[in-house]
Amino acid sequence: MKQPMLNIKNIETYYDRILALKGISLSIENGSVTAVLGNNGAGKTTILQTVIGLLDDQPEKGSIFFQGRDITGKETVDIVKMGIGYVPEGREVFQELSVLENLMAGGYMHNSASAKETIEKVYRYFPVLKERQKQMAGTLSGGEQQMLAISRALMNRPQLLFLDEPSLGLSPLLVDQLFDIIHQIAKDGLTVLLVEQNANKALAIADYGYILENGRFVASGTVEQLKRDEDVQEFYLGIKAEESVRATQRYKRKRRWN
Amino acid sequence: MDKRTSYFEDITLLKDRPVKGWSLLGLLLFGLIPFVLAEYQVFIANLVLVNIIIILGLNVLVGNTGQISLGHGGFVAIGAYMTVILDEGWLPFLPSLILAGFVAAIFGFILGIPSLRLEGPYLAVATLGFGLAVTIVIGRLSFFGGHMGIMPPQLEVWGMKLTTNSHLYYLTLGIALVLGVFARLLIKSRIGRAFSAIRDSDIAAASLGVNVVRYKTMSFAFSAFYAGIGGGIWAYVLGFISPGNFTPVLSILLLSMVVVGGLGTITGSVLGATVITLLNLQGEKIQEVPLIGPFFEWVSVHYMSISGLPNINFVFMGLTVILIILFEPLGLFGIWMRIKIYFKTWPF
Amino acid sequence: MIGQLIMTGIVAGSIYALVALAMSLTYKSSEVANFAQGEMAMFSTYVAFVMLATYQLPFWVAFGGSLLFAFLLGLFLHLAIIRRAKDPNVLNLLIITLGFQVFLYGLAGWKWGSEQRVLKIPVSQTETVEFAGLIISQLNLATILVAILLMISVYILLRFTKLGLAIKATQQNETAAKINGIPTRRIVAITFGISSVIGAVAGILMAPITTLDPNMMIEPLLKGFAAAVLGGFNSLAGVVCGAFILGIVESLFGFYISTEFKSIVAFLIIVIVLYFKPSGLFGTHYTRKV
Repeated sequence: MKQPMLNIKNIETYYDRILALKGISLSIENGSVTAVLGNNGAGKTTILQTVIGLLDDQPEKGSIFFQGRDITGKETVDIVKMGIGYVPEGREVFQELSVLENLMAGGYMHNSASAKETIEKVYRYFPVLKERQKQMAGTLSGGEQQMLAISRALMNRPQLLFLDEPSLGLSPLLVDQLFDIIHQIAKDGLTVLLVEQNANKALAIADYGYILENGRFVASGTVEQLKRDEDVQEFYLGIKAEESVRATQRYKRKRRWN
Repeated sequence: MDKRTSYFEDITLLKDRPVKGWSLLGLLLFGLIPFVLAEYQVFIANLVLVNIIIILGLNVLVGNTGQISLGHGGFVAIGAYMTVILDEGWLPFLPSLILAGFVAAIFGFILGIPSLRLEGPYLAVATLGFGLAVTIVIGRLSFFGGHMGIMPPQLEVWGMKLTTNSHLYYLTLGIALVLGVFARLLIKSRIGRAFSAIRDSDIAAASLGVNVVRYKTMSFAFSAFYAGIGGGIWAYVLGFISPGNFTPVLSILLLSMVVVGGLGTITGSVLGATVITLLNLQGEKIQEVPLIGPFFEWVSVHYMSISGLPNINFVFMGLTVILIILFEPLGLFGIWMRIKIYFKTWPF
Repeated sequence: MIGQLIMTGIVAGSIYALVALAMSLTYKSSEVANFAQGEMAMFSTYVAFVMLATYQLPFWVAFGGSLLFAFLLGLFLHLAIIRRAKDPNVLNLLIITLGFQVFLYGLAGWKWGSEQRVLKIPVSQTETVEFAGLIISQLNLATILVAILLMISVYILLRFTKLGLAIKATQQNETAAKINGIPTRRIVAITFGISSVIGAVAGILMAPITTLDPNMMIEPLLKGFAAAVLGGFNSLAGVVCGAFILGIVESLFGFYISTEFKSIVAFLIIVIVLYFKPSGLFGTHYTRKV
């Protein structure tokens, strides 16, 4: 069997004294789109931050392999060099730099000639950025900043892209447009790990999915499998299975997976 | 350390028998100092006590309320000069001292007003400017004796003439104790909690109903009062004051005492003031220290300059401050706590 | 007369501007107001002096050597000291830099004593040049020109080079910089190095005007710091403006009102300006998120 691109084995991550990830295992196949769903505080961002090395001395336990190489506990700069891109929650663009400068910063590890090539590619995905290339990033709208953040991560020509809640704070129309483009980027060959609260949109473009609750995976599988799961339907997709007796819900349906 | 079972226990001054016992013993020991030490050493003890008084106040401002003051030397100066001038013909010593303290407190209040809007380096500059301004103004006005400085009159308290360092020692010790107890009570009181709230998050504190304006200025005034009292006594300990005593270097020294000692604690204030004062004084006369002195002399002759040796004082101070902050952010108090814990949990 | 005063103010302002620039550079990178800036500059100037006087090296070699030393000193401050702080809050970092300043002051005093030395530079202090109807000494002219040249260089560095981009990115968002492969630790260290070099140039420019002794940078440091606050720490152009404004106002005040209180004018202005604009004249006020 071909080696998965990213293989996370049983990691435990602490925030100070709080155990945020309680034994997470996850593997990502080359060329796939994997969605990690969960509510606020479940630990989704923590997974990404742990893998990319932003949390000091974490993971406490477990190991992470990228393309067969052990990247557990390595420095962010080295991990990013190996080909993982990260689009953080909340965009985190460089507010006082122009769009173009943001992109050039993203291409820091490449020489400027090849960076310019990549910029052209990026403009094809997000033409609005080309229009605004001299504008200061802090003045862009939320959606445009999100596009900038994604483009900036693409500048490094990663093989694996982490997207942390790209739909956050965007209007539904914009979310649709954005996810169309993300889907296109994935089809063009990029492996994507998508962390989202918006389960519907995420599952629409993903191949595999994991559901995270309180630092543990409670469900995983192909997207078809997940869509069929009644618990997923009720708690993450908003599809109610049955009306209760008096047309009001007396008690919440119990989750069956614990 | 021991479990507290009631809120009252948390704020009372002397908790239980052992604490009371140690306190009494400590008091006794302090009281005996003038009898065991030489005159000159009592003089040094007086300097230490003066600094303790100042630092008790400054620590409340910096450690408990989280503000920065790089100009506290200015309040010390105000207290010193005011006390001397008032005592010279207007009021007896103690009232002069207290009034001088209040004058300093008023200036503290005034300095507290910009602090409402400034923080970090901006506040640092404002306080620095204040300290510098006081020094310059005092230096130029002949009313204050100008560059030549002024001499305080004979110290007389309640009819008794205090002439020796030992006399001064008991007076200072008494004042220090009173002020120390007061500071301790303040920290544990409602006001002290307001201070801490401001330090930790002044916006959150304000949203909870803490009157940030009132407490911030109060904290500045409080610390200025203590600095003023300390300054007033200092004038008499030294026997002579001039603007050169109150340079920004003094302010930096005071701030170091707070940080090295331990932010926000009474013990920290005492430790920090004591250690840094002694270090500072001894450093200037390093040649007299056995073993180390000659070593540094030798180094000076071969690598450095012998005339500059007194500057080694600063080398030590700077190094101490840096090392403490790097390795023990809680200061000497933190180290003291570690020692206590180590013995409490011995033999593990 | 007033033109002459303004010229004096510009000369002073040039030096304050360099100090302010140096402080602002490190402040933007790491939230540290580097109080040790002055003594670092002073120490580097002494290094230049030693190279000139003791080893008889030509001026430009000494100049370059001194700048190299300054750069390394800046790296040292950041990597060996600031990086190691267990609890890097504002107060602690402030005290660390103050401690380093005191340490360097003592070290310089110990090594070289407090006698005043003369730094020989290849520009005359007494020969004058006429410029726009005003008389200005060669030295003062050189001071202004060198300062402006340096400021322009920094501007070019930040605006047009990759390193400058990395510095700006790290200043604005360290995490985002990291995930783009920018080696932030190295970049901040380099920023400290550059800032130290700028300070050293200020020191070398100052030494012929006043004299070379351990105290020489204390007032310029305070004034430069004050200028940075006046202009607003966040904006490099702002701090430079603040410095020149300070220099000129100080000079005018000194002549028309009182030379004695000239020094506190600086702080008076600052306190007043800060009261109305707490982030300085040109600083951008970032609302604090609670």
